[in-house]
Amino acid sequence: MAHEVREDLKYTKTHEWVKLTGNKAKIGLTDHAQHELTDIVFVELPSVGKEINKGEELCVVESVKSVSEVYAPVSGKITTVNTKLDDSPEIINSSPYDNGWLVEIEIKDTAEVNMLLDAAAYKKM
Amino acid sequence: MVLRSPLYETQVKLGATFTQFAGFEMPIYYSSIREEHMAVRKKVGLFDVTHMSNVWISGPDAEKLISLTTVEDASRIEDGKGQYTEILRKNGTIIDDTIFMHLGDRFMMIPNAGMNQIVTSWLTEQAKNHQLKATVEDVSREYVILAIQGPKAKETLQKVTKTDLSTVKFFGCQMVTVAGVECILSYTGYTGELGFELQITPTKKAAGVFDAILSAGTEFGIQPIGLGARDTLRLEKAFMLAGNEFEGGRTPLEATLGWTIFWDHEFIGKEALLKQKEQGTYQRMTYLQCIEKGIPRHHCEIQKDGAPVGIVTSGTLSPCLNVGIAMGYVAADKREAGSLLDIMIREKPVKAKVIKPPFVPKDWAQKQQETPL
Repeated sequence: MAHEVREDLKYTKTHEWVKLTGNKAKIGLTDHAQHELTDIVFVELPSVGKEINKGEELCVVESVKSVSEVYAPVSGKITTVNTKLDDSPEIINSSPYDNGWLVEIEIKDTAEVNMLLDAAAYKKM
Repeated sequence: MVLRSPLYETQVKLGATFTQFAGFEMPIYYSSIREEHMAVRKKVGLFDVTHMSNVWISGPDAEKLISLTTVEDASRIEDGKGQYTEILRKNGTIIDDTIFMHLGDRFMMIPNAGMNQIVTSWLTEQAKNHQLKATVEDVSREYVILAIQGPKAKETLQKVTKTDLSTVKFFGCQMVTVAGVECILSYTGYTGELGFELQITPTKKAAGVFDAILSAGTEFGIQPIGLGARDTLRLEKAFMLAGNEFEGGRTPLEATLGWTIFWDHEFIGKEALLKQKEQGTYQRMTYLQCIEKGIPRHHCEIQKDGAPVGIVTSGTLSPCLNVGIAMGYVAADKREAGSLLDIMIREKPVKAKVIKPPFVPKDWAQKQQETPL
């Protein structure tokens, strides 16, 4: 994979990343995903407080050309959403791992995080 | 089987990301859709549109065959002129929209991508049915088609041809030599900007022409453009995309292409159109600009006071206006300019205003503040 993959993150096969701090998981799209989507122009974020199960639709990201669903990599309660994306969705393109994060989830089961791919496994995809 | 343009290697070298469209693997973008879109509005862009079709129509009755099978009276179109028109079924619905060019004693038709065989068989069959002496020949795979579009298109192309381009009129067509290769030039396009299209044969000579135009345009900021920006550019100008806007069978009256119909001649589908016109209650192509956040897409329902009144056939975020725009069919009495309708996006209504086309007016970029990309 020619795009940036960070060592300290966990990944899904569907190109989401997860950063675990205590029982909080910050979630975003990988550099590869933002490159494939190109020109992100709209993000429909979930409401704070919403309970979500792993694999369910977390939010919708639209580029000029396409609509893509982002799936929850872990189960839990949404505690924070990145409201900066309402006015500047393009920061997902410019900063997928830092300013362009999507949501933070208070996770139910840390075992779900261990089932995610590590950087080496994600790079091999 | 997936077809590729003879310029595939060139596209790969330029870093294209590919998509499949109408049986072709073509670049969807090189750098980014938005960036390419703005390059065409403000500077100049070079498109490979080889996925479009090429059909020669020749013989003593070639002109009569075109008049019979399109809404155009081809006797009006003199040598060296091109025309936009539609080919209809007997029931008045559109088989394809196309441009045909009058080039000496024959005509070249440019049907849409993947329509070459359908159009060729249809025309051949009609020639036979009406005892017309005309030959219809599908030469789609023998031509590479390039489009040079944008305010700097003329200056760019002028650097690689001796033909004085200021003598070529809108929708004019003629043989020219570009970068040492003879090709058919037309003052046409699908972006709403100043621009030209080139039909190049044999295809092995096309890469040289492509490279020469790209070099000539460097000083003007030329960029290669993919199909992604081609779609957003045409949508801002309210141009039809056959696969979307004519899906399921639509007549030129429904598509509000009545201006292209020459009623004073006999053509296939005329009777059905006259009947529809008299009846008058059909849905009509309507242009909607969102006044709330949201991006309409193909197949979104259009509602008025909670009741369905139409359907979106094409939608996107307008890169120039930065709002959602859509075209689609709406009930005849619900589409007055200025009125508000709801576009259903993921089951939620997004308010949109009916506008008169185009979404982005002519010379939009020149009227903007001079802002660098």
